[in-house]
Amino acid sequence: MHNLQSGDLTIEVAEAPDGVMRCTWKGKSNERNPPEILKPWFEKLLASVGEKQGSIEMHFEKIEHFNSSTITALIRLIQICRKTNVKLVMVYDQSLKWQRLSFDALRVFEKNDDLFHLRFA
Amino acid sequence: MSNDAFGFSIDMTVRNEWRNVDLLRTSVQNCFTAVFADVDGCHAIAMVTGELLENALKYGDWVSGDRAMFRLRVHGQLNQVVEVSVQNPLKADDANGNTLVKAIEWINSFPKPEAAYRARMLQIAQNDEDESPSRLGLVRIAFEGNCRLAAKIVDGHVTVTAALDLSSSAAG
Repeated sequence: MHNLQSGDLTIEVAEAPDGVMRCTWKGKSNERNPPEILKPWFEKLLASVGEKQGSIEMHFEKIEHFNSSTITALIRLIQICRKTNVKLVMVYDQSLKWQRLSFDALRVFEKNDDLFHLRFA
Repeated sequence: MSNDAFGFSIDMTVRNEWRNVDLLRTSVQNCFTAVFADVDGCHAIAMVTGELLENALKYGDWVSGDRAMFRLRVHGQLNQVVEVSVQNPLKADDANGNTLVKAIEWINSFPKPEAAYRARMLQIAQNDEDESPSRLGLVRIAFEGNCRLAAKIVDGHVTVTAALDLSSSAAG
């Protein structure tokens, strides 16, 4: 699985021995239509995780900014992970107010199925 | 002059190029960070600026006549209310203006912006196809920016104003 590099955004992927794909977001997600870039990359990531029966950890602690269209893409990722039974964890920096607000709001998608969790670093 | 009486104003006309959104967003953030100690408040002002500019570029009329510019205005006083407003041209028969006004009325109908944000996210999750416009940016402004939104359409231009309460932002 290759890193994503597009404009000001980089997502670095590292695979842990336990099958966890650790994706670290860096820079800024400020494209006009982020889903256009993120959706195909997420599809490849999900295919790779599916083959290995692994899970995904998205780390946002190092990202400087993302626009609301990026949040739409993240909501879609949460939905597709749940539909395909892939465990997804999003990790954020609680000391940054903007990250706390953005990610705490996504707790509306946490259920008792263990497939989506939010965690702060 | 006491710090609390410190006023500021940014008012400029800008070319409608997408890369200007991030240039202006980061410029606003850097300007305010240079003046204020409230880093979270500066980030909120910058986010609000960025989302309003994105909306203007996505849904403004950039094809009819000589309309390649839009206007950004940020003004207020330290520890009080900051107003960020963006004005852009609209087509005469454009439904986007009414959609925008209705979206803001919908957001303001909730007792708290957090409830509107949550409702909009759930709507987006329930739709298989991406709606255009998604209007998540406006609810994000209301919720994360702790803003009151307003829009007015005059002479083929729409102006969206976000009033950000920095006093409660600093406390939050």
